[in-house]
Amino acid sequence: MSNLNAIQLSGVSKSFDGFMALSQADFTAKWGEVHALLGENGAGKSSLMNIAAGLYAPESGSLLINDNAVRLSGPRDASRYHIGMVHQHFKLVKPFTVAENIQLALPEGPGNHAFSGSHRQRLAALEQRISDKAAELGFSIDPRKITESLSVAEQQRVEILKVLLAGARILILDEPTAVLTDGEAERLLETVRAFARQGAAVILVTHKMSDVKRFADRVTVMRGGRTIQTLDPQTVSVPELVRLTVGESAPASEYQPAIPGEVRLQVRDLRSTGAGGQGVLNGVNLSLRAGEIYGIAGVGGNGQSELANVLMGLPEPCDGSLELTGFGDLRRASAEQRRELRIAAIPADRYGAALAGELSVAENFGVGQVHSGRYGSFFRLRRKRLEAEAAEAVAGFDVQGVRSLKQKAALLSGGNAQKLVIAREFSRDPQLVLVHSPSRGLDVRATAAVHARLRAAREAGAAVLVISEDLDEVLALADRIGVMSGGRIVAEFDRPADRQAIGSAMVSHDEPGHAEPVTEGASHE
Amino acid sequence: MNEQVRPVMLEQVSQAAKQPKPPLLSRRYALEIRQQLAWHWQAVIIGLALLLGLGISAAILVAAGVPAGELLNEFVVLTVFDAQSLKAVLFQASPMILVGLAGCMAFRAKFWNLGLEGQMIWGAIGATAISLLEVGPPALRLPLMLAAAIGCGLAWALAPVVFKLRLKVNEIISTLMLNYLAINFLLHLLYGSWKDPRSSFPYSPQFQPFERLPELFDGISAAVPLAVVVALLALWFLGISRAGLYLRFVDANPRVAGAVGVPVQKMIIGTVLISGAMAGIAGFLVTAGQEGRLTQSFYQGYGFSGILIAFLARNNPVAALVVALLMAMLFVAGRSLQVFYQIPFSMVQLIQAILVICVASSDFFIRHRIRRVQGGES
Amino acid sequence: MDMITNWLGNTPDFAVPFALAALGLILTERAGVLALGAEGLMLVGALAAIGAQLAYGSHGVSLLLAMGAAAVVSLLFALMVLVLRINQVIAGLALVFFCQGLTGLLGTLLDWTNKPVKGQSAIELWPLSELPLLGKIFVQNPLVFMTPLIVLTVVAFLTRTTTGLRMRAVGENPQAADAAGISVLGFRLVAILAGSALIGLAGGYISVLSTKLWIADMTGGRGWIAVALVIFARWSPWKALAGALLFGCIEALIPQLAAAGVRLPQYFVLMTPYAVTLAVMIWVASGKNVAGNQPGALGIPFIREERR
Repeated sequence: MSNLNAIQLSGVSKSFDGFMALSQADFTAKWGEVHALLGENGAGKSSLMNIAAGLYAPESGSLLINDNAVRLSGPRDASRYHIGMVHQHFKLVKPFTVAENIQLALPEGPGNHAFSGSHRQRLAALEQRISDKAAELGFSIDPRKITESLSVAEQQRVEILKVLLAGARILILDEPTAVLTDGEAERLLETVRAFARQGAAVILVTHKMSDVKRFADRVTVMRGGRTIQTLDPQTVSVPELVRLTVGESAPASEYQPAIPGEVRLQVRDLRSTGAGGQGVLNGVNLSLRAGEIYGIAGVGGNGQSELANVLMGLPEPCDGSLELTGFGDLRRASAEQRRELRIAAIPADRYGAALAGELSVAENFGVGQVHSGRYGSFFRLRRKRLEAEAAEAVAGFDVQGVRSLKQKAALLSGGNAQKLVIAREFSRDPQLVLVHSPSRGLDVRATAAVHARLRAAREAGAAVLVISEDLDEVLALADRIGVMSGGRIVAEFDRPADRQAIGSAMVSHDEPGHAEPVTEGASHE
Repeated sequence: MNEQVRPVMLEQVSQAAKQPKPPLLSRRYALEIRQQLAWHWQAVIIGLALLLGLGISAAILVAAGVPAGELLNEFVVLTVFDAQSLKAVLFQASPMILVGLAGCMAFRAKFWNLGLEGQMIWGAIGATAISLLEVGPPALRLPLMLAAAIGCGLAWALAPVVFKLRLKVNEIISTLMLNYLAINFLLHLLYGSWKDPRSSFPYSPQFQPFERLPELFDGISAAVPLAVVVALLALWFLGISRAGLYLRFVDANPRVAGAVGVPVQKMIIGTVLISGAMAGIAGFLVTAGQEGRLTQSFYQGYGFSGILIAFLARNNPVAALVVALLMAMLFVAGRSLQVFYQIPFSMVQLIQAILVICVASSDFFIRHRIRRVQGGES
Repeated sequence: MDMITNWLGNTPDFAVPFALAALGLILTERAGVLALGAEGLMLVGALAAIGAQLAYGSHGVSLLLAMGAAAVVSLLFALMVLVLRINQVIAGLALVFFCQGLTGLLGTLLDWTNKPVKGQSAIELWPLSELPLLGKIFVQNPLVFMTPLIVLTVVAFLTRTTTGLRMRAVGENPQAADAAGISVLGFRLVAILAGSALIGLAGGYISVLSTKLWIADMTGGRGWIAVALVIFARWSPWKALAGALLFGCIEALIPQLAAAGVRLPQYFVLMTPYAVTLAVMIWVASGKNVAGNQPGALGIPFIREERR
């Protein structure tokens, strides 16, 4: 490997509305290496890289490219220095074709304002370059396809092609494997490693230890906006990495075997079609039993969000039924009735589907029970009682950062917002708990607290369903695991589950039980 | 490993770094979103914005030919300290308060009710119909007129809200179109079957004395306490009853509101109907109060005024009372400017627009913070 | 049959303002800026054109000044929505009322109200103008014939140039455009100015070529109808042109019916354009995929460093 520094950030600080996202952070990557930037949610890794890519401006600190001091005025400037970033949330224009999306990112060429002919010709030439480059990297992509119709992994490849064709030699990837199956992740990381071996600098922002261990030449750990240490991943143990990342040993979670009881909810044959006519839910069947956690694993985009919506009573047109024991079809229940039936729902999008950010903590807590008359009649709302009960719940569920119950819910951090939702939903000792992506955006401590609540619900006899795109989370929590692919449950596993088998089930498309043979992504460990 | 690639590539990057670039600003400005700002600071900022707006308006008035010294006289002294003008202001304030409340109501349900004028017109038409058809005994005539005004105003607001909820039809367009329909229907009536036979002007026959709002003590019209009562009802609805909380949820996040059990559709429809009813009452107040008959342009200016009041008052009924009063002062002053200095009444509209723009612009400073950000020193 | 000939012949005259205004709105909205200020900008264009015509007597100059005046006023709108990030609905409404007040005031103060001006003589497109029944369609003033060309130009710009691609990207996903190094605010500013110029042109057409005088509030809701037109043309310029022709037909029919002696209540007839707008909005909304073509980021202000 070369000894030259490709990019160096020193003493970088950045705050958002009073919150210090970065505090004198440092980071250096050399030419020809894959350098992992490791940290949990909220550690500042994305913010630091957004500065490197010219999207954010730092408050202090410096940036050196090839040991020359540089000031970036924006993303186009970064691109001139051959820095390219593939973001966690893709920056693609959905209705455009692949070629058009890439065309946007290319630097100004001659004759950009000419009419007809020229633009078409440039696009055609670009389409050729795209096909060539893709072949070089080992995959194929049709540059004329509308971006929206591509799979997530394919869209990510478009993003990569975009930065490569724009001439990037310093490649930053922000949580690239979060949306990929194990096999796809493997291929991606091998591709970028090859790219690094050609002399480029690759920075891999991630929170996954396994990626770091297998593909990184060096790793820099960040925590709380600061750089902690830079090490060689081959010589450091995983527990040690965890300790550096989290700041303390991860709380050990002991597993108690489940004592499943009666079937609480029977999901029968849910079917729905999407806007384009293709099937979104293709006959989902599963049963939830009391005292058991059922985890649904799978890569995002296979119908999980739609399934979650149907289960949680959000508007989602679909056929099929949800039979709740002792009640009937849950789909006919109103929000009132769901509360009476003690069904708790914790959606993935906290501020889109669970909390109203502009309203106070107390109001968010109590609104569900207002209709039943718990806080006064229609003519007079009894706020004192509402606030008293909210205060109790906030204390009981350890929701922190609440200076006053009247403050806006939007001021709560991710973890505390989630705890508030849980406090509200669990206030009636639920018999059925439905959760979607519970730890998204949460740091390790908050995640542990949320998981503890779910386990406690299970202990108390509730039937718990966890839909999560984080396979580690599902493996940690679930007693039974269903793999969702192509809008249906294609395989079920009991604990302890074989990660390999789950992974291959995720990529199986057709009939359940016909998982594709494992030809790629086989573990080397 | 391609040894040749690396030196070439390093060259490229080094070149890019060393090339003379246009000098970058040594400080960049970053825009941040603020989460919350203490309300007294908000009041200060809004106050400054209003002063700015008034200042610009004053400048325009001077440029239009009003002597600068007279301005203060006209606007402040005469309207407030002259007993006659004060009565006129209070009189004018009543329908203003009602359209302002109507605006507040609709906006609380996230419904852009630009149809206030149409609803006013129908309210007035309803009241006039009761009068012309001589429905009910004289003692009950006035309350019946009020009831008809409420009913008609409410009905004219029903279609747009249903279209929005069921079909997602943009309510800005639908309420505006309904305005034009109402205006034309009004003209149809006033030039046609409802025209006063004793005159050639397009207005309805004069109301009977018992069909007009009585004057209470000291020449203050009954319209004033009526407006205050409605304001108190609005205050109860939005602040004390359950509906207030529901509406705030619907306003903040309709999806979450539905998920937690708020009866979203009922709330929206109910609130918009109340808004229409209030505008109808405003029509009744102007027709049975000021004019004493149905005229062809009584509604002009109230539509935008209602929206402006709601906007400046941030949908708060009590603030709306105060702002409506100020708006009434503006109207009265505007009329006298028209008489004495030949300034057209569209000046009032212009001043209103300037105030909205200034206050809306001030929101920028409430919601955002501009920070200087260093580009970085090596 | 004379009535039909006249009716068809007058249609383009009524259709042009709708078409130009809708086109201007589409241009602005394709870049992601919700533009409700059409009614106001049309008035500004109309007043400026009358003023210029009274002063200089040249239609070309008047129309250019109409475009310029509308563009200048739209700077205020650009300031509100691009810099100050005001809610675009409020900014649009405020702009309309501002323009109504301003033009009402200036029209009276400068004594431009009710002063007739000379129109532009029509051009005959021979041999098409000799056609029976349809002949009169091809006898129009020059701007009418230019309108389809203007539409063509805008369409070509949006779909066949790289700059147009960038503008559309700004409207669909400004974050993506920004990350690609495109100046979101820059493109939006240009879109607002260009779109407003077209709307001003529409207003100028009404006052100088069509009605040939100025009265306060003379656009009578046509700007709002144009806003509705854009929605049910699904932001496509050619469909907007078709919709404009439809409304032109309706507006042209009104005087013809009266001339033909058809006895209809006058004010009900005047309601027609508004009722039709409402009806079409409902009809379109009840079909599926209403917002199918709506620019993805329409109406959302853009700030680069939004904390997630």
